[in-house]
Amino acid sequence: MRKALLAGLWAAGLSMAVTAAHAETIRIANHGQAGIDAMKSTVAEIEKKYGVTVEVVEYPAPDKDYVTKLLTELAAGNGPDIFSVPSASYVADMVAAGYLAPIGKELKAWDGYNQLYDVAKELAVSPDGETYVLPSMLGINQIYFRRDVMDKAGISTEQPKTWADLIDRAKEIRAKTGQYGLLFPAGVAWGGGAFEEGFQHLLVGSKTPQLATADGKLNLTGEGIKDVFGVYKELIDNDLMPIQPLLGPEPWVIPKYEMFPAGKLVATTCGSWCYIFDWGRESKNPIPNVEKVVGTWTIPGQTSGQYVLAGLAAPWAVNSKAANVELAKKALLEIGSVPTEVSYAALIGNIPARKDAAADPDFQKLTELVPIHAAAENGVYLKQAAGFSAVSEGVARATEALLRKETDAAGAQKILVDYVKEVLGDDAVQ
Amino acid sequence: MPWIQLSYERRVAWQLRLILLPSVLLLLAFVIYPAVYSIYLSLTNEALTGAAALKPRFVGTRNYARLFSDAKFWNSLLVTLIFVIGSAVIGQFVLGLVSAVLLRRPLRWKPIFNSIILLPNAVPEVVAGFMWISMLAGGERATLSRIVAFFGIPAADWLQTFPLTMIIIVNTWRGIATAMILLTAGLSAISEEIYEAARMDGATPRQMFTRITLPLIAPTIFLYMLVSTVSTIAIFGFVYALTRGGPGGATELISIYIYNQSFTAFQLGYGSAVAVVALAFSLLIGVVYVRALKVEV
Repeated sequence: MRKALLAGLWAAGLSMAVTAAHAETIRIANHGQAGIDAMKSTVAEIEKKYGVTVEVVEYPAPDKDYVTKLLTELAAGNGPDIFSVPSASYVADMVAAGYLAPIGKELKAWDGYNQLYDVAKELAVSPDGETYVLPSMLGINQIYFRRDVMDKAGISTEQPKTWADLIDRAKEIRAKTGQYGLLFPAGVAWGGGAFEEGFQHLLVGSKTPQLATADGKLNLTGEGIKDVFGVYKELIDNDLMPIQPLLGPEPWVIPKYEMFPAGKLVATTCGSWCYIFDWGRESKNPIPNVEKVVGTWTIPGQTSGQYVLAGLAAPWAVNSKAANVELAKKALLEIGSVPTEVSYAALIGNIPARKDAAADPDFQKLTELVPIHAAAENGVYLKQAAGFSAVSEGVARATEALLRKETDAAGAQKILVDYVKEVLGDDAVQ
Repeated sequence: MPWIQLSYERRVAWQLRLILLPSVLLLLAFVIYPAVYSIYLSLTNEALTGAAALKPRFVGTRNYARLFSDAKFWNSLLVTLIFVIGSAVIGQFVLGLVSAVLLRRPLRWKPIFNSIILLPNAVPEVVAGFMWISMLAGGERATLSRIVAFFGIPAADWLQTFPLTMIIIVNTWRGIATAMILLTAGLSAISEEIYEAARMDGATPRQMFTRITLPLIAPTIFLYMLVSTVSTIAIFGFVYALTRGGPGGATELISIYIYNQSFTAFQLGYGSAVAVVALAFSLLIGVVYVRALKVEV
């Protein structure tokens, strides 16, 4: 009897010790091997500085699967303590769901705060005025084109001034080279990319450049939206962008990783990561001399203006139900250090959100990214609002209908409006 | 002792209940409870993100009303119907029956043929999916394109050009073994003496097949149809790995539609409503098989 009692007490003691040990473990969800490699020195720094064990868990790619796993775990209350959000359009909805811990106070007290670009600070603020994500990296989006292919065909590589100019250039490419002239990511399978890497680019330069209204609703009936879908329609109807690959399961693979390096697609929207991850030093199918061969255009406005689209690249957040929220917040800020940001830039190609990263010798070696980093301050963006993840899916569905030639621009806008209303209710949409 | 006072029959009855108890508990925990919970979810606006994730509301039958006017839902039902008929009812059954009949005969390499037919079942479905992606990929170097090139047919991106046909072929490949095993069991129950008597009466092989074999294995065929139809409706993994429901919804089976609504659009309530309707369809098919065809399950 006494032996059994002792054994019971020992087991209970062991269980408590294990629980205590778990409380000092921070679980970080990361996205892909490149991200894990970029975080290695930061993980060691967090463990050393706070005397904790950091468990880095690789979550699945692509983005959609990552988000699905993450949201399911967060909803079940067993999510990781710290995680990256692959697309900033999910942030407002994750805030509304109560998944993210506020970090505004800690962020402002952090010594790196003043080094952040203003655009990064603004992008990190949620519709409720509080900050829930660390804006450590920026995605700077432009149009990338094959300078060598265009030069050879005698096509001007000058910056297009308007949407019409851009479409004319795509038509000229098609006519003179026989290759696809311009790609805007579209369709359901591309996930958030249809919205973030395509639709947004044009919308910011349209007649109605914002979706969020002052009262936090979504205005999806603007003329600009229909005009943006009109650009897709024109590209599709004139066979200027590849359609079949976009309807497949991994739509970015063929156009981005095969057609563009082979010169079969001559221009596409992309972020700074394309210079490193898609076609540069970290690519499996690199374009030799990528800096010179591939040029960039800012995104022209509908009738005037030039736009460089800035977005938070996989911002980091703390689980509101983390085992130790305060400790997780401290660990989170370590991810915003210059060495970590430079490491991410080198391996993935996003742009550090800190201005002082420019002085880092390792960052200066990334000659493709240095000028983009300097231009980050001028980035424009869409104001976030709750419901953006539904808008993102609605844009994907609308552009898919355009890809399948089932509708026109007005029909695509109706698909978007109907979908968002179905998901969020009529009240959420102005 | 009350146990000893029980009659033999009652003791056996209690023993049977005890033996069944673990199965009943598992069924309750992993089948009945999730099904009932799905029905409850289908009456709410529960979501994985947004305000509805924090405070879900009861919305009555709104999800069902939306579902009946949802063209994508009807498309997924149609795709599922074609997929089930093409792969389970026709492909797997016909090839399974042919395999079972042929392998009943004394053949020299019979164990090897058996193994070849069974092999697809040994491959995990996602692995099978990726294997078939490489076989059906676009470009001249893909396996199928190289095979058809022998016959002068140009290379194609098979999963893009003939998506539904391709997933029907792949599912047929995966399911032949199950059909063959079940139908072999049915065939082995037919006494050889019946065929002997038929031969003595001058019956041709075709007459023996249509008038003896088929009628006698009919219960097995219907049982197979029931199992394969219901399990094919629920197929998800390898089709998702192959096409993710694309291109443009051409292979969006009802299972993939449920997944997309619940875990891509994050609408658990609406996804549950679709799942409940799919469950009702499966039950209906089961009842048709069991009652109308008088199958003993």
